[in-house]
Amino acid sequence: MSRKCRGRGMAASWYGIARTATIDRAGAWAELDDGGTAKIVTGVTEIGEGILTVLAQIAAEELGVRPEDVTIGDNDTARSPEAAHAGATRQTYMIGNSVALACRDARVRLDAEIADHWGVDSGSLKAFDGEIWAEETNLKMTMEEAVDICKKRGVVPVGSGSFTAHGTGLDPEDGSGSPWQAYVFGCQVAEVEVDIVTGEVQVLGIWAAHDVGRAINPRGVEGQIEGGVVQGLGQALMEDYKLEDGHTTTHGFAKYILPTSLDVPQINSILIEDPDPLSPLGAKGIGEPALVPTAPAIMNAIYDAIGVRITSLPATPEKILAGLVAKREQEGTRHHAAE
Amino acid sequence: MSSLDMELTVNGRAVKRPAKARMRLLDFLRDELNLTGTKEGCGAGECGTCSVFVDGKLVKSCLMPAAKANGATIETVEGLAKRGGLTYLQQAFHKTGASQCGYCIPGMVMAATGALRENPHAGLDEIKERLGGNICRCTGYSKIFEAVELARDVMNGALPVTALDGPGAGASYIGNNVRRLDAPSKVTGALKYAGDMVMPGMLHMQVLRSPVAHALIKSIDISEAEAMPGVECVITADDVPGEDGFGVFVHDQPIMARGRVRYVGEAIAAVAAVDVETAMAALGKIKVEYENLPAVFDAEAAMASGAPVLHDYAPDNIVKHIPIRKGDVEAGFADAELVVEQSYETQPVEHAYLEPEAGLAYVDHDGVVTVISPSQNITHHRHMLAKIIDRPINKVRFIMSPVGGGFGGKEDMIYQGMLALAAMKSGLPVRLVFTREESIISTAKRHPARITYKMGLKNDGRITAVEFRMISDGGAYGLSTEGVMRKAAILSCGPYDIANVKIDTHGVYTNNTPSGAFRTFGAMQAQFATESHLDICAGKLGLDPFEIRRVNMMRSGASTHTKQKLGSVSLGLALEAAEKASGWESGPSVARGGVRGDLGRAGNREPCTLGARIRTSHDVDTKEDIA
Ligand code: FES
Ligand code: FES
Repeated sequence: MSRKCRGRGMAASWYGIARTATIDRAGAWAELDDGGTAKIVTGVTEIGEGILTVLAQIAAEELGVRPEDVTIGDNDTARSPEAAHAGATRQTYMIGNSVALACRDARVRLDAEIADHWGVDSGSLKAFDGEIWAEETNLKMTMEEAVDICKKRGVVPVGSGSFTAHGTGLDPEDGSGSPWQAYVFGCQVAEVEVDIVTGEVQVLGIWAAHDVGRAINPRGVEGQIEGGVVQGLGQALMEDYKLEDGHTTTHGFAKYILPTSLDVPQINSILIEDPDPLSPLGAKGIGEPALVPTAPAIMNAIYDAIGVRITSLPATPEKILAGLVAKREQEGTRHHAAE
Repeated sequence: MSSLDMELTVNGRAVKRPAKARMRLLDFLRDELNLTGTKEGCGAGECGTCSVFVDGKLVKSCLMPAAKANGATIETVEGLAKRGGLTYLQQAFHKTGASQCGYCIPGMVMAATGALRENPHAGLDEIKERLGGNICRCTGYSKIFEAVELARDVMNGALPVTALDGPGAGASYIGNNVRRLDAPSKVTGALKYAGDMVMPGMLHMQVLRSPVAHALIKSIDISEAEAMPGVECVITADDVPGEDGFGVFVHDQPIMARGRVRYVGEAIAAVAAVDVETAMAALGKIKVEYENLPAVFDAEAAMASGAPVLHDYAPDNIVKHIPIRKGDVEAGFADAELVVEQSYETQPVEHAYLEPEAGLAYVDHDGVVTVISPSQNITHHRHMLAKIIDRPINKVRFIMSPVGGGFGGKEDMIYQGMLALAAMKSGLPVRLVFTREESIISTAKRHPARITYKMGLKNDGRITAVEFRMISDGGAYGLSTEGVMRKAAILSCGPYDIANVKIDTHGVYTNNTPSGAFRTFGAMQAQFATESHLDICAGKLGLDPFEIRRVNMMRSGASTHTKQKLGSVSLGLALEAAEKASGWESGPSVARGGVRGDLGRAGNREPCTLGARIRTSHDVDTKEDIA
């Protein structure tokens, strides 16, 4: 065995989208505004995943404007419709769909006026990127003009949407129930190099394949996978909140070790789109599922590399070295017994 | 307090202004000059969010006394580009999606700017090394590296400036890599997080925390603290007008300890004063008398009879037990050709969002109690706070400020209640910003888990039965433990079609730091066990890891462990995609790293020797060959 041993491991995973074993809900308001811009108000705040951009893309697509034309209101219990919480891999699914429904509702108002103005069937209207037109005609105008016409006819193009996900509670005796209406699945492969002298493990590559239903912003999805993988790697190899009789000994980043730029592997994301049939957008989610398979894939890779099975996270250098010693002793005993 | 007259140049402008004694450069920039793009992630030189240039040198401003910067030329993130514009590097961050929550980003932009100033041709390894002192908890760094390389190439003329442009409309805005709309505000430091916000007349809060794990509070004497000049109010549990208690599932946690403390770091009292120093000094004047109680620090010990009881409503210390039963596990094990048992353990994990908890509360002109904070669940917090302060629900208002990383850790209403009470009592706006240490000791962690696993299989790999038991330390309060146990149970045995399962998850009270919501909500702990166990079994059966999973995987229409009938199941696609993309060489799961032929191909990074975390005397001996 040479000093640096490489190996590979994999792990699969599954996850439920939105709140568990309950009915989940989210509401949103939409308005096509002057200048062909748009206002969306819903109980959402960016927590880093890129939800504001995702919602602006959804609104732009549904309303026929540009994402940069969309303003998303603040999340304020006194000013915005309820969309519940920022967690449970629910924002794209729950709030994304409620925004889509609100935008469609606003478009119904706008389209009725424009169709009447042009004398065409409202079903023939299409809008994209700041323009609205009637199919199979030469009729076309900017969204700015369309909003103006709509308002001059006495109609403000507003809409609202509410989206529901139907989960059911679990039976208290046997746990049966349908906790989510949408599930995602994933699989990651990890390649590691273990230094059998220091016990240090480097993760060199991760191949992460995840079903997201529909990727609204593929680069944003990759960002979620990359962040999830590195949190998974931290838990796999170094992070450990330690307590002694209730007092922590890891009260700062000098003691509580986090992955840095030097620890991260190359992360190769593969997005799978198996659309959700129960929602208007077909998108599911990725925030949490991304990190589920990382730690076991890394443990399986460590085993592949050096034959040491780490069953207690994190796989610190000390545990790796102890595992190697135990393995050698075991092999020695076996060897001895055979003599 | 003595002060020092500072004269320096900040972002090209001459600044003349006194700095308080012992003020750090970070405080001077943030509090005196309102340059809040420079963030405090740790206050100890360990995260890089406070990076600025001092006379052209990259410096962690939390470590530099303001006095030392006197006369210097300072550049902060706000000064990198012309007002309203972005540097190439900032544009590259925008283009690649390098900012997520954004809290580390000003510091990253400064460090990356420094890297390219030092070496305009820096390669990837050098870039990584130069960013090594900056922590990002969100991005996994990958898109940040991409941004720095892109900016380098544009600056060197290797790529045209148009390489920084957005992708355009294309045929649709769905499936489109639209650049993040919030990125410009993050790469320039313009975005205000709760801890960056100020209001006229605003007070500063500091919190007295328990030094003991389990004790009765015999008395709290706040008289001396309250009498201090500059102190506007001191609050304790006695100031709660309504029904005191919060939690995501069970409302077992008081805003501040009520007659009893259950973990080290639990809030006992809080002071609102004209500045942080006064509030801190007042904490030292509060006298608390404790009577220690026996404590329990291990989940299994807490389940044993006779263990100290934490909450009267749960005499067995069980927060939640979730059982799932399907089929007949005994019959399944009897039918098995191989039975494998193994136990697994996962550790408590800190969320380590770069933005420590912060909030600002006030009572508005209509008497509405308003709390601005990066809470992940303002809807629920509004319900709970209305009960706690005994006001109608529309007299309680929560505003969610930009979240500098949450990962579940900001779902708990751990400090918003104190802010509301102090704003009500003082009649003034009150702000609280946690230190990093406070954030670590007082807020929830990922649930640690002990899992015992028993799996029966046929020789072809088919699983006949699983018995899964998980015991999780929930710590001193319930928070999200119930939900975490539920999700862990439902997902525990993985996406596999198993006729017979017996699953139990138990969340248990102890006197440890509470456990709560953390990205995956119990699923990671449970599936870590399942996915490790499958590989062990595959090894014993001589099967490839992908093969054993394919033999067992749920397919469209499968019935889950909770007997839910699924629609479309994409697991087969995911397995195939990962197997193909990685160029996986199939073979039995038996430590074949030394002989497999698929290692070291494209998709890996080079091993690095730069930042080896562990150094031993063997390090010099690189050719050593063992075993
Ligand atoms: S390094 Fe200064 S705040 Fe973290
Ligand atoms: S984007 Fe880096 S910490 Fe959130």
